[in-house]
Amino acid sequence: MDVEKENFSDVMVLTLVAKDANLSRSDIFKEYVFEEIESGESNIVISFENVEYLDSSFLGALVAILKKLTPIGGKLVLVELNNDIQNLFELTRLDKIFIIRNSVDSAYIEFKK
Amino acid sequence: MNKLPITIDVEIPNDSDKIYDYTKHILDIIMEHLHLDLSYQRRIKLIIVELITNSIKHSNGLPTQIQLIIDHPQLSILKLEKGLQIEFSSPQQIPFENIEQKLHVSFSESNNHEIQPLDRYKFRFLNPIRKDELSLDRLPEHFGFYIITLASDSFIYQYDPEMKENRYIVNIKI
Repeated sequence: MDVEKENFSDVMVLTLVAKDANLSRSDIFKEYVFEEIESGESNIVISFENVEYLDSSFLGALVAILKKLTPIGGKLVLVELNNDIQNLFELTRLDKIFIIRNSVDSAYIEFKK
Repeated sequence: MNKLPITIDVEIPNDSDKIYDYTKHILDIIMEHLHLDLSYQRRIKLIIVELITNSIKHSNGLPTQIQLIIDHPQLSILKLEKGLQIEFSSPQQIPFENIEQKLHVSFSESNNHEIQPLDRYKFRFLNPIRKDELSLDRLPEHFGFYIITLASDSFIYQYDPEMKENRYIVNIKI
């Protein structure tokens, strides 16, 4: 899986390495995060620092992850979205559903609330 | 600006990791003929990415082509795909029996599109998201057609039963 994982206290930060968050990676990524959730992770940050574009398949995977996290009281924060990806969230109004922050540091604040 | 309309045919990639570079290439072609601001460029990129992603998912290797029709006041992006017609997981199917009423159709368990039949083999996707419907429980996990509908001014599907060809027609007012 093209993802770097770091844990800071009880927050897991996943940074996507590939520039394409697309069809070829969405199912693998979703399963990877599901396994992390099942092994006890519930505070998750996903960084799109390296990602150039995100397609509908990956968007669906993010929704599935959020649906899995929410009932167990978990939290998902998306960070470092470029303007095109931010625009996609706004267009679909998913910016009202997801917590989106500029940086990993600003994401941490969400877990202290 | 060159004399309009201009029609450009382009083949599409079958490797998902080439989609974005290809999308930028198509946008460059369009920009040779039209001056578009960033907002339009973003909409066009989203539409092309989703049209191609849909093909890679569902065309089963059958021939697919993108056709650009640059005109004024409209840019049309057509995807022509050989094969069987689109199927809904909801009861209604093409050819429609009643073209007067709007329909709710699904392409999977978790999505629900409102469409307006235009003839027995043709329909228009209607704006899919209303303000009072946005909740996580009811969110779909398939967004391709949603994105195309939201990013365009009209998104029409047509099936030609004689040619066995699916036509996805996306129009953007420019």
